[in-house]
Amino acid sequence: MLQAYLPVLVFVALGVAIASLFASVNRLLGPRRPNKVKQEPYECGLPSDVTKSFRFGLSFYMIAMLFILFDIEVVFLYPVAVQLEAFGVFALVETAVFVALLMLGFVFVWRRGALEWK
Amino acid sequence: MKAPTIDYLAFAPILATLGGSLLVIAFALARASFVQRVVLPGLALVSIAVAAAFAVITWETGDQTTIIEGALAVDALALGFSLLVYAAGIGAIALSLRSEIARDAGRGEYYALLLASITGMTILVAAENLVTLFVGFELLSIPLYVMCAAAVRDERSLESGLKYLIVGSVGSATLLYGLAMIYGATGSTDFAGISAAIGTGVDATDPLLLSGIALAITGLAFKASVAPFHQWTPDVYEGAPTPVTAFMAVATKIAAFGVILRLFDDALLSTQLQWGPALAALCWVTIIVGNVGAIGQSSLKRMLAWSGVAQAGYLLAGIVVGTRLGAEAVFFYLAVYLLMNIAAFAVVIARERVSEHGDGLRSLERLGEASPWLAWPMTIAMLGLAGFPLTAGFFGKFQLINATVSGSYESLAIAIVIGSMISLAYYLRVIAVMWMSPREIEIPAAPGRASRKVRPAEGWSPEAGAAAQPEVTAVAVLCAVLVLAIGIFPDPLFDVARDVGSSLAGFL
Repeated sequence: MLQAYLPVLVFVALGVAIASLFASVNRLLGPRRPNKVKQEPYECGLPSDVTKSFRFGLSFYMIAMLFILFDIEVVFLYPVAVQLEAFGVFALVETAVFVALLMLGFVFVWRRGALEWK
Repeated sequence: MKAPTIDYLAFAPILATLGGSLLVIAFALARASFVQRVVLPGLALVSIAVAAAFAVITWETGDQTTIIEGALAVDALALGFSLLVYAAGIGAIALSLRSEIARDAGRGEYYALLLASITGMTILVAAENLVTLFVGFELLSIPLYVMCAAAVRDERSLESGLKYLIVGSVGSATLLYGLAMIYGATGSTDFAGISAAIGTGVDATDPLLLSGIALAITGLAFKASVAPFHQWTPDVYEGAPTPVTAFMAVATKIAAFGVILRLFDDALLSTQLQWGPALAALCWVTIIVGNVGAIGQSSLKRMLAWSGVAQAGYLLAGIVVGTRLGAEAVFFYLAVYLLMNIAAFAVVIARERVSEHGDGLRSLERLGEASPWLAWPMTIAMLGLAGFPLTAGFFGKFQLINATVSGSYESLAIAIVIGSMISLAYYLRVIAVMWMSPREIEIPAAPGRASRKVRPAEGWSPEAGAAAQPEVTAVAVLCAVLVLAIGIFPDPLFDVARDVGSSLAGFL
């Protein structure tokens, strides 16, 4: 009876094995020629030596979140636009509702000043 | 490709709260004080009232219609649980009216999130499909994560929001994994399809199916704060703003048990022999852990959180038995649990606004003399939660014990009785603090926790007391009166519970 649960055990073992393989193989096999830039966690973007008084602007998050929102809007709009004839009026109305809801949110964040760079 | 047919009348309750949420957000842009103070909560109340009216209109006993291509079921179970959620929502709005939290967080956002969470709960209890279930689950959770952190200047509120977010996400991920496995085993996301597949195509002891069920109940147990997945409950309840705690404590539990009822006692009922003993073990653990945990608490919010864990254990007993009697008992108990908890939280809110002890047990000292209009509702709520006769809590426990015994899970009846006996230790202490001299009562010291400074509510003076916050007192008194009324005339609520139970088709 419990033999049926063997796949679960194999699954867990495989998960642990693969994760620890990826975590360790680089350290074991890779060549190490460190320099200052390479030592940093990220090689581009803002300076990563974060001091105690460093504050990351909230505006970055706001813009990033809004970007993702509208990005996803396009992801939804594109297939509907391409296949509109097959989907018919229902899809058009649904999309209009979706865009209207998104617009409401957009007007809200705009009026509340989330797009002002502070 | 054909468009799904949508029965808009049956869908109306969900559209009403969703539309209300959007309207509140739109109106929130107006800065006028009148709009902020009156129009926004008013709009929220009206949209809940409209939703409740539609729910009552579409209520038809024993009639189940699935709408939107079988995504949602509109039956007495969905509508009954939705009505309980609406009641919790109205209570939460009344308790938030004079709260500083709604103002600080932005009233528009606050009420819109509340309505969105209510929408998620009503979708969840009507879910007839695994995908809809998960959508409702997330729509319930995400607004609550934000609302827990609504007191943006209070570190403990932020901590509570973050903690709830992390623990809740773990719960969601576990649930989703479980749902995927159930789908993998049965080949259907529809509850009707799952129920039909088990026994015909899939064996009831299929490992994939049982693993899925185990993960799904784990995910749902996080939301319902069933032990051992309850550890977040006291911390989050204590840190969150008290009106949010009140809403979360009752409404989340109603929604979670609503969906557990539909998933386990409808879709998965034919595997009851497999999951029954496992859930019974959870039930035992929850009742003992919750009741023992509550004994040492000096904060009322923490005490009510632990008591909520214990109550989740009692409710789970009604699910385990997998009978119509059990389903009726769960609905009945949730209805009275709602009234008792809202009454208790209303008193806590009224006191923490004016007392230097915040939500500590000491804030209730000599309340019986100072303001009996608050002391009596608290007394009735505590007696009800302990299950005293003449309160609704007695019939709630009676129903649950009746269901467990006739479902041949007598051991759970014993657990409920033992749990209730332990619970007297902390429920009666609250009553003693209110009505007896403080010197006779031993109150456990809170280690390293300074008493919280709370600014007095507007217009409060020691003489005014309860009259300065009429809406909070009104909520407390109304709930307490209903607890007594149901404790003396339980028949109307029994009838509603019978309707709700009759909408699950799988029972013999």
